[in-house]
Amino acid sequence: MEEKFVYLSQAWRDEGEKRLKESLSPEKMNHATSSMTNLYKNCPDGIDRFLYFRFSNGEIAEMIVGEGEPPTKAEFRITGDYETFARITRGEIGAQKALMTLKLKLRGNMVKALRLASLADRLNKVLSTIPTQY
Amino acid sequence: MNTDQKAADPYFIDFPKRIRNIQAQMAEENINVYLGSRLRTLSWTTDAFCPWRSFIVIPPEGLPTVFTFVIDASRVADDSWLDEDHVYGFAPMGGQDQIEQIADFIMELLPGEKGRVGVESGMSNYLPEGFLTHFEYEQFTAAMPGAELVNAHTIIDRLALIKDAGTINRFAEASRIVDVGHRAVFEAISNGGYKNMTETEIAGIAALAMRRQGSVWEWSFTGGNEIASGYRTGLAGGACTPATGKKIEPGEPLMIDIHAMFKLGLGDHAHNYLIAPVTDRQRWHADNFVDIVKKTLVTYRAGITPSLLAEKMMAFAEERGFADFMVPGFEHGIGLVGDEWRIGLNDGPFAYWTNPDHVYRENELLICAMQYACPDENIGFRYENPIVIHEDHCEPLSKYPLAIEEIS
Repeated sequence: MEEKFVYLSQAWRDEGEKRLKESLSPEKMNHATSSMTNLYKNCPDGIDRFLYFRFSNGEIAEMIVGEGEPPTKAEFRITGDYETFARITRGEIGAQKALMTLKLKLRGNMVKALRLASLADRLNKVLSTIPTQY
Repeated sequence: MNTDQKAADPYFIDFPKRIRNIQAQMAEENINVYLGSRLRTLSWTTDAFCPWRSFIVIPPEGLPTVFTFVIDASRVADDSWLDEDHVYGFAPMGGQDQIEQIADFIMELLPGEKGRVGVESGMSNYLPEGFLTHFEYEQFTAAMPGAELVNAHTIIDRLALIKDAGTINRFAEASRIVDVGHRAVFEAISNGGYKNMTETEIAGIAALAMRRQGSVWEWSFTGGNEIASGYRTGLAGGACTPATGKKIEPGEPLMIDIHAMFKLGLGDHAHNYLIAPVTDRQRWHADNFVDIVKKTLVTYRAGITPSLLAEKMMAFAEERGFADFMVPGFEHGIGLVGDEWRIGLNDGPFAYWTNPDHVYRENELLICAMQYACPDENIGFRYENPIVIHEDHCEPLSKYPLAIEEIS
């Protein structure tokens, strides 16, 4: 039976980082340098969580999961319900639709975000391959 | 741009200094953050044309940040002296709509999320003015509960009143371009060229010639280049004639009011013709108009007021017997694109109209604008020209010779 990783757990993060490094070369990430925090509200256990990424020249420099607020301020901050993020990761709803229907809120420079949108999609696509227990 | 380059660029404007001057005035008026929304404010502070709904947030110190429709934000950043970190795009997405995005941005600038936010509230005859709407005011008030929104546009109006050399030079270049447009029109309509030509074709001929010279837009919201012929030149009190498909006919007056934009500086000059055959009565009207324009141009100077100038000119018109045909106004305001309304500050007897007792000062820039209309005889003329006010004279920026030529 395939091992499943609990969504947003340390083991899920480790698996995610491993898969991202295997799948996304700096070229595929357009040598981008940026950072992003996903803030998960209304998690099943009632605790808010975060997932923080930092890319440097297209390589993952940091990937942190935790409870509450991340230790570092990111260039972009996306806030939404746990269930919304889970649905995006399962491919049930697109991130753009979630933003346009107010299910997610983005803070940061929209113009820069547009340039990074395809990279975020690539990243989400890799994370969606992790066998996950929500 | 280094100091030598600045000195060599006749169109250089010190925008960072403008921002610092605004910030100094904000401090004096106890305003923590300035939220500008007028097109004239955007042009004056960013050096970029912002055709979509846009805002500028000016903090108490440091660089301002522009917020515009996301489809145009990269272009605005490319045109402006501000970098892309100071030009944000808004869109209908969570956290990215203009109210939430700007309110969040301002709240971070307010100590304890409390303070006074200067906004731009008022009214204008100029449709693209861009004052904060009632809905926007309500939304920002709700989104920033700790902020007091106060009307503060006078800060910009006061600072923008006297023009610097870079601004005047931009207007001078735009005026030179307009003069080229007038020559192109003259050549096109001369020697029977006007026959079967429409007003819109003339507008296009002028536009092409001006764009070849560096104009980026026939900027006027009144339909770009305003061309009128025949009875349309003499519409009662009329001073707005978007070009139509009307053909130019023999025996009619023809009014060419064309506009060019160069680095947000605006060319705006109106020139008039009579298409042959010309009657003595038409010539009489034309001579009246040329004479009063000449008299007006030698009267403008620092120290005079709009009402004093109008009194003198109307007295001259009365003495010559054509006062009935004069629209008793001789100017409108002008500045970098978006600033096309009243002269001076909002301090006259009628809110947001030109104060008739405004005293002109050196290096104010305005459009000397005059309209002559005789609807009963289907004839009228218009004069417009950006003029710089000097101590003892005014300087017309368009150099196109003043005359009403007869075209055959």
